[in-house]
Amino acid sequence: MNQPVIRAEGVTKIFGGLTAVDKVDLVVPECSISSIIGPNGAGKTTLFNCVSGFYIPEAGEIDFFGESIRGLPTHKICAKGIARTYQNIRLFKEMTAIENVLVGQHPRLSATWVESILKNKRYLREENQAVDKALELLDYVGLSDLADTPAYNLPYGAQRRLEISRALASAPSLLLLDEPTAGMNPQETTEMTGLIRDLRDTRRITILLIEHDMRVVMDISDQITVLDYGVKIAEGQPAQIQSNQRVIEAYLGPGVEAMTKKFNRKKIQDAKS
Amino acid sequence: MFSTVKDGLRTGLITGIIFTFLVLIGFPSVASNIIGDILGNMDSLVEEARMPAGNLVIFIGLIGFIAGLTVMKKNADVSWLSIALGGLAAGLLTGLFIGLVIYLIGTIDNNGVDFRTYLPNLGADQIRYLLFYSTPLSASQTYLLYFTIFGLVGALARKTLSELSIYRDKIDKVMSAFKSQVGSSKIRGLLNNKLVLIGVIVLVGAGLYFLPYVWGSYWNYIMGTVAIYILLGLGLNIIVGYSGQLVLGYVAFFATGAYTFALLTAPTPHDIGLNLWLAVGISILVSVLTGLLLGFPILRLRGDYLAIVTLGFGEIVRILIRSDLLTPLTNGPKGVTNVGQPTLGGRIFSDINYMHLLMLLVLVGLFVAKRLKDSRTGRAWIAIREDQTVAQATGVDTYKYKILALLLGAAFAGLSGALFASRNQFTGPEDFTLMVSVNVLCIVIVGGMGSLPGVILGAFVLKGVPELLRELADYRLLVFGALLVVMMIVRPEGLWPARRKKFKETNIRSVQVKNKPEVEV
Repeated sequence: MNQPVIRAEGVTKIFGGLTAVDKVDLVVPECSISSIIGPNGAGKTTLFNCVSGFYIPEAGEIDFFGESIRGLPTHKICAKGIARTYQNIRLFKEMTAIENVLVGQHPRLSATWVESILKNKRYLREENQAVDKALELLDYVGLSDLADTPAYNLPYGAQRRLEISRALASAPSLLLLDEPTAGMNPQETTEMTGLIRDLRDTRRITILLIEHDMRVVMDISDQITVLDYGVKIAEGQPAQIQSNQRVIEAYLGPGVEAMTKKFNRKKIQDAKS
Repeated sequence: MFSTVKDGLRTGLITGIIFTFLVLIGFPSVASNIIGDILGNMDSLVEEARMPAGNLVIFIGLIGFIAGLTVMKKNADVSWLSIALGGLAAGLLTGLFIGLVIYLIGTIDNNGVDFRTYLPNLGADQIRYLLFYSTPLSASQTYLLYFTIFGLVGALARKTLSELSIYRDKIDKVMSAFKSQVGSSKIRGLLNNKLVLIGVIVLVGAGLYFLPYVWGSYWNYIMGTVAIYILLGLGLNIIVGYSGQLVLGYVAFFATGAYTFALLTAPTPHDIGLNLWLAVGISILVSVLTGLLLGFPILRLRGDYLAIVTLGFGEIVRILIRSDLLTPLTNGPKGVTNVGQPTLGGRIFSDINYMHLLMLLVLVGLFVAKRLKDSRTGRAWIAIREDQTVAQATGVDTYKYKILALLLGAAFAGLSGALFASRNQFTGPEDFTLMVSVNVLCIVIVGGMGSLPGVILGAFVLKGVPELLRELADYRLLVFGALLVVMMIVRPEGLWPARRKKFKETNIRSVQVKNKPEVEV
């Protein structure tokens, strides 16, 4: 049997008195697109932060290809092959687009500072390869013309795509995308979903994403996990999730049926008094 | 029309306040001295012990002129009359303001109050000079007159300039045509030619080699100080400019280097008499070790906490050096004298030799810093500066790279410390006050964070220029503060901001890369 990329069991993260993520289990199969959805404050990003090592969960285990990554510092997790993007874009603003991607390649390069002063043969070869790879990645996300533009000067959509190419630069086997289409127009959103699909199909990268745009989620996900108040309330394929009563309640509140019942009861009470 | 008058009045008030402040710190007489030096009309009057009043008028005129200039806004389209009124208003109000202040000062002085009690720079001589050696009333009238005239002249000059600017378009056209003829790309193409490149290098090298002979020892001393500060700036630039760690106790590494070198080579208090070049190496090594000692516990801190802790560290080192505890080791407050000096062909290094050595080391330092900047290491540092959390999540071992930056910075400081001690033949604890850290930090910030030409420029502006303007020595801190404030407003990114390396131009071969994904719509 194929080993899952991520197997999380009973992950719990507590902030003060608030249990942001409560005993969540998560299995991400290889070469899939899995989504985490849920209302605001459901703990989606917290779960992401647990997987990418920003937070250490109070309880539970997180395995990456069967190897525990719980408590590892983020740079080691990155080196193992988990890359991520951020909900509010976090590029290295003063650096150019291509430099951002070159930083992304950091764990795959090995030049030391002494070598970079001496500029020996091995260093030059590695550096040239890195620049070629970076240009290729920028081209892949459609930014090759903007390679030498400082990141802060890039338009919004380009910044999102640059974040993805920076994440890809570390040659990850799992890519965590935190709201990749947030703030995009329909055209950009379509391009982004195409890009995400292509990552899975041609680059064989497993993808775990948080997304609020339900059309995107239902369109590209192989598997959806729904969180509400830190608890996993549903899991399955898009069609199953769409018809799940608890999910609808989590998003829209208790159903209309319940509302009318409550209303009628109140009416009767008013009439009695 | 009223708007210019209003602007004029505001300018007048501001100028008045600034000038009052300058009067209170006794600046006008210093300025007159400088003007006198420039005009050369001071010497003949020394016996009279009177400074020529004309110099003061020039100074007043300058200030009034500037006030008049600033009345007119950029690109404002106003008539000659209203701009004249604005300038008049500015000059008149400044004049009234200063006239009143001068009148008050003069009258109070006449009543026998000694200003020196409160304002040490405002002695009786200065006051008499400020009064043009006449009565307070007539002096204040003089001020009023001159400020009004020069305010008006300034405003009219500005208007004339803006009228002339119609011709600027034409000049711009000619300039751009000239630029396209001899554009930067052509110059770069020329530099690619090996012979030309070698020629330029030889010329610059020869220039640098012969400069110390031409300069004379005074200039060698000043430029030597500048060079040492460039080295310090390069080191701190790695820590603050590249990796973004605000270390305020940089002087600690400088002191460690200087003292290590001094103690290893000076006859007292230890008489070790080590080989000088070996001693330089050991100085660098000890500085690096100090960096390690400091870095391991504190580089987990961020931002403000790091700044405070390092600030303390810098002071601790200085206080330790002069403490009773370490006096047997460091000679305490007396400092170490007769620090070893390198020899060349049996003769002790002259100031020219020192200058050459310093130039060489600055070039090596620049080379190292430049190579580091454009490498994997440099990129990791800058990523840490930009966003430490994300840098780490992108795979950079931030702790390791921060320590590396600190150690390399400390190495630069150790080297310059050794050179400093050797050149001065003396080193004492008072050479290593907090002010050194602040100076070096200012060099890095004023020059432009992370910019190598910025460090050089910053060192010249902040260390070289003050040495040249000895007259202004008392006002150095004032100028320093004003400079920093103006910098933050006008050029927040520094005098010579860092430029990012361009990759695409240099790597044209790899632009036409394959397969863009077919985006399914």
